[in-house]
This record gives sequence, C-alpha cells and structure tokens, in this order.
Amino acid sequence: MIVTAHRLRSIGWIALLAICAALVMVLAFRVNALRSQVHHAEMKIVALRQEKMYLETEFETRANQQQLKAWNDVEFGYVAPTAGQYLENERQLAALSKPVEPDAPEPIRVASADDAVVAQAAFPAMVSPLSGKPLGAEADEDKPKAEKIDHAKAAASLGERLAKVDRGDDATVKPRIRQLVAKDGDDSVKSARKAKPAKDTKQAKADSKDKPAKVATRKDKPVDKPSAKPSAKVASATKSPVAKKPAAAGKREVKATK
Amino acid sequence: MNALTASAAIASGRVQLANVRQRSLVTAKVRALWVLLLFVFATLTALVRIGQLGLFEDAPERRSMAEALLPPRGEITDRNGVVLARAFPSYSLWFNPKALGEGGSALVKTPEEVAKALMTIFPDADYADLVERLKSDKPSYLRKRVLPEEANKVFALGEPALEFPRENQRYYPQGSLAAHVLGYVDEAGEGHVGMEQVLQQRLLDPAQRGQPFALSIDARAQGALEDELSRGMLESNAKGAAGVVLDSDTGEVIALASLPSFNPNRSDRAFNGLVFNRVTNQVYELGSVMKPVTVASALDAGVIGDMSVRYPAAQLHIGRFTIHDSHNFGASLNVPEALIHSSNIVTAQVADKLGGPALRSTMMALHMNERPGIELPARGFPIWPKGDWARITTMTVSYGHGMAVSPLHLASAYAALVNGGVWRPATLFKVAPDKVPEGQRVFKASTSARLRQLLRMIVVDGTGKKADAPGFRVGGKTGSAEKPGSGGYRKTSLIATFAAAFPMDKPRYVVIAMLDEPQGTQATSFQRTAAWNAAPVVGRVVPRIGPLLGVVPDATRDVDISDLSPLIGNGEGE
Repeated sequence: MIVTAHRLRSIGWIALLAICAALVMVLAFRVNALRSQVHHAEMKIVALRQEKMYLETEFETRANQQQLKAWNDVEFGYVAPTAGQYLENERQLAALSKPVEPDAPEPIRVASADDAVVAQAAFPAMVSPLSGKPLGAEADEDKPKAEKIDHAKAAASLGERLAKVDRGDDATVKPRIRQLVAKDGDDSVKSARKAKPAKDTKQAKADSKDKPAKVATRKDKPVDKPSAKPSAKVASATKSPVAKKPAAAGKREVKATK
Repeated sequence: MNALTASAAIASGRVQLANVRQRSLVTAKVRALWVLLLFVFATLTALVRIGQLGLFEDAPERRSMAEALLPPRGEITDRNGVVLARAFPSYSLWFNPKALGEGGSALVKTPEEVAKALMTIFPDADYADLVERLKSDKPSYLRKRVLPEEANKVFALGEPALEFPRENQRYYPQGSLAAHVLGYVDEAGEGHVGMEQVLQQRLLDPAQRGQPFALSIDARAQGALEDELSRGMLESNAKGAAGVVLDSDTGEVIALASLPSFNPNRSDRAFNGLVFNRVTNQVYELGSVMKPVTVASALDAGVIGDMSVRYPAAQLHIGRFTIHDSHNFGASLNVPEALIHSSNIVTAQVADKLGGPALRSTMMALHMNERPGIELPARGFPIWPKGDWARITTMTVSYGHGMAVSPLHLASAYAALVNGGVWRPATLFKVAPDKVPEGQRVFKASTSARLRQLLRMIVVDGTGKKADAPGFRVGGKTGSAEKPGSGGYRKTSLIATFAAAFPMDKPRYVVIAMLDEPQGTQATSFQRTAAWNAAPVVGRVVPRIGPLLGVVPDATRDVDISDLSPLIGNGEGE
C-alpha cells in the first residue's frame, strides 16, 4: 500500500512535469506563432509603404511642375494673384461690409445669390453652325434682341456659379433655368421678369433663415436690382456696379489666359 | 592412450573453441568500436558544421522593418519637402537568351516579329538595334525603366526570354526641373554634376540616408523661373539662358536654371554639352549690370557726395581707347541719370575719380576674383585683371567689361547691394533661421539704401520698365554686353542680363535673368538689348514667384524716391 502511494506520488510528479512541459511547449509555439505574425505584419507594412512610395512617385511624376504648367496653359488659365486681391489689414476687410454709397468705388460682391449669374447659365440649346447665333434668334432679328450669350463671359462666371451656395430649394432654380433654355431666343427681359417673383420669395425665405450680417449685405441689393435686370445694355446705361462687374471680370480673365 | 588422445583432442578442441570465442569477441568489440567511431565522427562532423554555420555563415536574411525601408540612396527634396530625387526600384527589360535552355532558338517567334511587337509598345525604340540584340546570344538590356503597364504588355507577348528584373535606380519625378542643381547618378551609382555628386557620401551613409536631404531650392519658383526663361529664350531666339533667384538675406539659392537643360532620368544620355551650368560655370563680361556696383563703391568711398553733380557725356578718349555710349544722352548727366540711361562714359568718370585700388578692393570684397561660393562642383574661375589696375582697366571694369564673372557672382553682389551691404556666400543647403551666416560687410547701410532707390528708379523711369511687375516694387539694372570674339567685340552677339531685386522697400529676393546671344525678333520688337528680352522675363517671373515666396504685392507701398526723382530727365538707354 505504501509502495503504491509512493509510486502514485512519483507518477503524479511525472504527470505534473509532463503537463508543465506541455504548457511550456504550447506557450513556446504560441510565442513563435505571434512572432511570425508580427513579422508578417511588418512585411506587409513594408510592402504597403513601398506601394505608397510607388503611388506617390507616380502622382508626383504626373503632377510635376512642367505638366501642371502645360495643363494650366491649355485648361485652367490660372494666374498669380494681383495686388488688388490682397487685404492689407482689418480696416480694409471691414470696409467690405459697408453699404454702397454714391460715388463709392466698386464693392466686392459676395458669392451669394445674384440673378444675373443664374441667367447667364442659360446657354442656348442649339447654335446655328452658319451664323453662330442661337437657333430661332435668326428668324426674328427685328424683335428686341435676346441677351447675347458671351461664352467667354459665361466661362468666366463659372467660378461664381459654382461658388453659389446651394440652399436646398434648388427646385425653384432649376425649372427656371430649364424654362429659360426652352424659351431660348425669346426676349430675355420677359423671362427674367417671370423668374423674378420666384427669386424674391426665395430671397425672403433665405433672409428669414440667415444670419443678420448676411441679411444686411443682401438688403442693399434689391435697390439696384431692377436696373440690373433687363439687359446688358440697360445695365451699362444705369451704371449699376453689380451688373457691370461680371463683364469686367470676364475681360480680365480672358486677357490673363491669353 | 585412447583416452589420453581423446582428452588431448578434446582439450585441443576446447582450446580451439576458446580461441574462436575470444576471436569473435574481439571482432565484435572491434566492430562495436568502428560503429562508435562512426557515431563519434558523425557527431563531430555535425558539431563542426554547426560551429561553422554559427560562426562563419550569414544568418538567413530576415531584415528588420527599418532596414527594409531604408532607401539604398537618400532622397533629395526641395525646401518644402517636394521630392526632387529618390531611389526607385523600377522594371527594366532584359533579354536572356538562355531562358529556353541551351541550344535552339532563344525566342518562340522570330526576332523580327518580336522586335515589331516591341516597337508597338515602345514607339521610340530603334528597330534595327532591337533585332540585332534579339538575334545575338548574349544577354543584354533591351530597355531601362519600363512602366508597369508596358511590362504587362511585354509579358503578354509570351516570350520567356524577355525578363523584367526590378532594379534600384535614381528617379527624378520632376523630370528636367533643376537638373543642373541635382545632377544625375550613373550606372555605377556615382553622382555627377550637381548635388548628387556633392552629397554622394551623405546620401549613401546608412545612418543618414533614411532622412531626406532638403535643398534651399523651391520647386515652384524653380518651375516658374525655368518656364519664363525658356519662353524668353524662344521669343528672342537666344542660344541659351541662365537664371537665379537668391534670398538676399541668407544667400540661399531659391531657384537656379541653366537652359537648355537635360533630363537626369536618362543618365545614359546625360553626358553631353547640356550638363554645362551657365549660372555657376560660365563666366561672362556682364556689362552694364556692374554699374550699380561701381556707383555703390563710389558712394561708399564718399566720391559721390552730391547726386546732382553733372558729368560731361561726350566720348572719352583714354590713350588709344574711346569710351562711348549707345546713344547720345546730351551734354551732361548726373549719376541717377547715368544709371537710368546706362551711360558708360559717366560711370567710367565716376570710377576714374574713385580710383583703381578702391574699385578693385570692392570687387574683391564681393569675391569677384575667386570661384563662386556655392557647393556645386561646376564653378567657373572669373577672368580677373591681374596686378594693379591701369586707368583704362578701372574704367572698363566700372561698366562691366574687362572682367568676366558668373551670373551667380552677380547675384551675390546684388544681394549685398540691396540687403544693407552684407555679402554672404550663395548656398544650396537650406539654412535654418538661427544659422544664417553673419557675412562680410562690403557697403555701408546708407549706401545700400541709396542703391535701392537708384535701382528702383531704373525700373520706374529707365531701361528696366518692362520688369516693373505691378505691386512688387522691382528694382534692377539691365546689361547688354557684346561678346568678345576674334578681333574685338562682336556687335551682334550679346549677353543680355537683367539683375533685379524685389520688393525694393525691403528686399528679400534677387532675381537674375540672362540670355545668351538673343536675336531681334518680332516678340522683342526687333531689339537685342536686355530691356527688351531679359527685363520682361524678370517682369513675368516676379509676379509668379512673389506670392509663393511670401512677398505680398501691394500697390500702395514703394521705396521713397522723391528726393532723387527731380534730378532726372527722360530717355532710353542700353
């Protein structure tokens, strides 16, 4: 009996030793597995960094100075900012928000709504390849002329149109454009007049929503709006600063991209 | 007896048996020993092998992440971190004629067919050369630097003999931009021409090559300068052009261009005349652009006390030489007028009054008698009049003849003229704001202030009108020097230079534009002089680089020239 107990004890020790050895082995395997996982992860990181480097290099090559210059010459026509585009100090910045006074220099327009900009978006649906005039415009030459679409001007105002804040009630704007396009060749004075009430209600809506500062800038606009509306000729006759601006901007841009 | 014999026989048999037993025991022992020896030998062999592996053999390659990401050659970037040069493993196209085994054809199709197919992928390749290579049984590169999509197309040809080894090469993402600054790396990994040569050790050092090396160059300014110079070169039909933009307060080179340029990506084609750097290596008699230096030297020495003093403008006869102006500017001119109209005669008289030794020491203080102070290996030695200057030498040097320096010399001198009078060596290393070299004072601060007014006046009222970028307050001086040829100066081969700095109320950058042998074309109003070709280049470069370099154009600021403007009449000069 004693012998058995003794033997049992030694078997127990052996078993314990075996279990410990097994555990150590399991642990060692686990450590090795983890280590190899780390190594794999590292290799992956290296591979990804290399990949990133390739892509970066490709990007840098495709967008190198000479390439950008070539694109700018052909496509964009960006020019370096001029002195007029810099603000010296807070005083100059504050002067921008003042209402326009008589004999004041041209104000800087805000990017928000100006109907003339939207009206310019109305490209003719089709231009006659012979005369270069919108189809339908040739037929009734004697009628009051449709606002001539100046492509250079329209392209110049693209930035402004893109910068226009989309207020969600786009539905009112889009049909209007469509309407204008459909009525292409028609008297733009008429279409503009039609479009006006829709705009005013939109403006009112927006005003009620907007911050007080912005309201102030927009409030002074309707004053010269009726004169700005009808056509480019009338606008230049009344010398409205708001209506004059896009034409001037267009000219400057064309000059710059030459 | 029988028993005896029998016992004897048994005995002998026993003995024999015992012998046999002993013998087989010995055999067994010997065999056991052999086996043991075999085991010992095997163990020893194994141990020796282990020792050999452990001590002498390299470990299996298991590089750490840091090692794997360490580039074989360090990156070079511009001052804003835009990569200008990088080690890049790219594919190349290698023809291995043994790919299909020894003997028989190396290719599946005929060499002509394969060459034709390769021509559709690489239209610029040489067909005859390709066929010759494909027919030979020697392995060779068919092309270096193959794009991955091109490699895929070649792979689709199904020719096992066309292989794509990935090789570490030097790649310049910006192409030929700043080629003369960077240089190139040849097949053997040696840098040449530019900073690749200068930084060879640094770029290969394992401890440092992980970090990109920043140059003082600004890639955007460099692009603008190269662009406008090449436009000016084409417009005036010039042979070459050179330009440099220098930070006048630190001596950092912001842009440095020599045209026509080369593409460092094609190092096999790089070794030709185009690697010659016109900014640092070529020396020119730069002509009238040196006049402001003479005037500054005279102002500094107190020779010109009163700006309104008038000098006779009639032709000067010194010995057998005659000094004359490009036009007749009237009977007399004062110093501001002399600079505005670029009068050689008056400048020569000012220099004569100043004296040779004083002018010489100013020129030496501006380091005009040694190679330009820059890191590039290609630096030209000026042509410097030896010994004490004769009277005529002093006079000719005063308006930029008889002494030839590089455009970089001129840029550093102009930096000293406008920055308050301190000369600093030009450098291509990015300089930390607290590490700006102290420099050497050449002119008094008051002289420098005066020069700023004068240089601005030249652009407002004089020959540099076409460089007057609105709002940038550019000041500068034109120089149109006839090139020396056999039998005197050649009337139609000019070096047209415009040396400028902006903004003149607080100069920050010096811009030099130089055209080599410009012709009179319609674009330059059929004029050869700098006012019509080099000055417009500066006039176009400044508005492009100014805003990028932190100079805000402002039409309401300018350097005050009201005290000098009453002194001048109007007219045009050289």
